[in-house]
Amino acid sequence: MLQLQFTKDTLPDSVSNDFQNLNKFNEQQFTSLTEILFNFLLEPKEADRFLHQLSEFAGENGMSAGPLRNLMKSLLLLPHGSLKKNLTEDQVKEDLLTLGVSEGKADHFSQQWSLHYPVLSRLAVGQTLMVNQLVDMEWKFGVTVGTSELQKVGNTFLQLKLVIRKGNSTENVYMELTLPQFYNFLHEMERAKASMDCFS
Amino acid sequence: MSYLSHNKAPSKDAVRQLCADSFPSGAPESWRLAESTAGTLSVSAIEAKELIAALHTLSHHILFHNLTAPEQILVLFPKSFHPSLKILITKIMLEHSPTWRNEALSNQISLPHLVEMDWRVDMKTASDSVSRMAVPTCLVHMKVEDSSCLRGSGALSSVTVELSKETLDTMLDGLGRIRDQLSVVAGK
Repeated sequence: MLQLQFTKDTLPDSVSNDFQNLNKFNEQQFTSLTEILFNFLLEPKEADRFLHQLSEFAGENGMSAGPLRNLMKSLLLLPHGSLKKNLTEDQVKEDLLTLGVSEGKADHFSQQWSLHYPVLSRLAVGQTLMVNQLVDMEWKFGVTVGTSELQKVGNTFLQLKLVIRKGNSTENVYMELTLPQFYNFLHEMERAKASMDCFS
Repeated sequence: MSYLSHNKAPSKDAVRQLCADSFPSGAPESWRLAESTAGTLSVSAIEAKELIAALHTLSHHILFHNLTAPEQILVLFPKSFHPSLKILITKIMLEHSPTWRNEALSNQISLPHLVEMDWRVDMKTASDSVSRMAVPTCLVHMKVEDSSCLRGSGALSSVTVELSKETLDTMLDGLGRIRDQLSVVAGK
């Protein structure tokens, strides 16, 4: 059984074979495939573009798109697992070598991994669960000029609208603050920011 | 109001109490108040109701126009009104004005008021997408008066919101702009 760092599961034979088949590509082809792969990792929503680029590659290099897609699916397991486990460039290279990929290709891939790692990990963190995420804040402030009870008033008020993501939809929360409350709110948020800054 | 002056010496306290009791918005319609007033002043319930309505109108007029000088209030009474009673009522109205004004201000219509707010900074250490990380996040909890309930009924609704560092920074930008605009307005 292969000792891999990016996953603890036993890889199916088809997947191991796919990795070894990478050696059949020449340097230029492997570089293009790697580029297509990382483009997709950096913009995971662009699935259509990814498949389109694979089809193009298959056409240009005289191979069928189907097996190529399967190969890429297997290859994707490596960066996904490595991201989860925060693997270094060396560890990724080690895994590729263990899987039977040639030294030159393992080098290239792990270098690309290292290059894109900061952006990829930020993306992964961004996908982490957030509860009632604050999406937007709108505000307006004004002066109350008069009311039905008091002909002349002169109170400043601040109205806030918070847009909160709840599951797939958003909810609006409206509230009003007096000036002292606003200054207190601002002060508390500055304290929260100072606390967060300590950790970054 | 002439009923008051025709009555045999209602005590100053009774007058004071009556002025206070007749202020709330429900006072002119309250039969219970009318009856207890009728008892105190030895007049009929109908007469008491009229008296309460008159005092209510007077106090709200004073409040609305923000009359603060005794002269402004004294002219409101009919010429034939008992002089020392006039002065007593005016004095009582002026005494109560600040309290009534604050009450009116706090009861005016508005969006739900923020009642309480607290925050917490957490550190996210792992998730299903990344098994090891150190990402700070901020949770803000706000208690807001429930707008569907009567003011002061104590019903509060609670909302907890999570903010990433970027969101908090953006929010502080916005709040800073509000503060700057407020100081411009205050400076005028």
